[in-house]
Amino acid sequence: MPRVTIARNILAANEEVAAEVRGRLAAAGVRCINLMSGPGAGKTTLLERSVARLRGRLAIGVIEGDIETSLDAERIEAAGAQVVQINTRGACHLEAHMVRDALEALDLQRLDLLFIENIGNLVCPAAWDLGEDLRVVVVCTTEGDEKPAKYPQIFAAAQVLVINKLDLLPYVDYDPERVRTQALAVNPSLQIFSLSCRSGEGLETWCGWLWHVGRAPERSSLPASEGPVIQGDGAAS
Amino acid sequence: MHELALAQSIIEVVETRAEECGVRQVRAVHLRVGEASGVLVEALQAAFTMLASLSPVLAEARLAIEVTPHRAWCEPCASSFAVEDFIARCPACGTWSTRILSGTELQILDMEVGADNEQGGQEQENNG
Repeated sequence: MPRVTIARNILAANEEVAAEVRGRLAAAGVRCINLMSGPGAGKTTLLERSVARLRGRLAIGVIEGDIETSLDAERIEAAGAQVVQINTRGACHLEAHMVRDALEALDLQRLDLLFIENIGNLVCPAAWDLGEDLRVVVVCTTEGDEKPAKYPQIFAAAQVLVINKLDLLPYVDYDPERVRTQALAVNPSLQIFSLSCRSGEGLETWCGWLWHVGRAPERSSLPASEGPVIQGDGAAS
Repeated sequence: MHELALAQSIIEVVETRAEECGVRQVRAVHLRVGEASGVLVEALQAAFTMLASLSPVLAEARLAIEVTPHRAWCEPCASSFAVEDFIARCPACGTWSTRILSGTELQILDMEVGADNEQGGQEQENNG
């Protein structure tokens, strides 16, 4: 039976759009972070606190992905960021075309740093390049401490890990060292921040890093950029 | 969970290629999927069958999936090894490897087309 060559990545269409997004952001001098976690790890609170702390020093925009509602967007907007809400109406991850459309509603010239808050899910978002420069995964002390071993793909594809809700450590059986060990086993170059959005512990270090990311003059000088290459990165360079 | 989106993407790529080549009926689509790509092969098969049934060109098509093992290269040992649980550490010498050889692919290789199609084989060299 005749065969016809296709030789294309299954996600090639997404990667083309991601490259377009990456190009537009680079042209406007905006750094982009794809923020991922399971539900309830504290992505939105982390953004709220980061935006509030960096107000006046770093212009932050947020593309807020949720399955339904604009509750999170309202919280972040109140903290002082430009926000666009995407509702996926059931889809378990964001795709690059959603981000491209959301960019229309942002004034990129006035931004230093753009966060894309992905859908709360540790599985599906890992496969979709959104045009980001860096991927940050958030876990927290009220989840099990075996997340990096159970969901290795998302940790392998990230440059940064945030361990949140440190203030609850006395009340839970959570071993942050175990999480660090597991996460570094799947991704030895992962940069790790431990913090509590509630008590503020560790937020200064985290915000200092964000400031550096937002103000880095060249993409190649981004902190933690020597980690594993993000899928689709090559298309942009 | 995201296999439905992957199946949709596969169908769009194959439909476009079929139209380019004047193919009326696709018999099979060959994929290479890495064991560490996060794809559940059974779920992808089910999603493909469901969506392909809605496509005139793909209604009869089956999905043939070649699963590649997750392997990495150890520079000091000059040999490859199987990556277990995403931990790319050489079992022989303990060195961490960043050179992944296989296991993360998500590729559409080619398609088998009906013998009644005009072109087919001659498109082999065009790797779009």
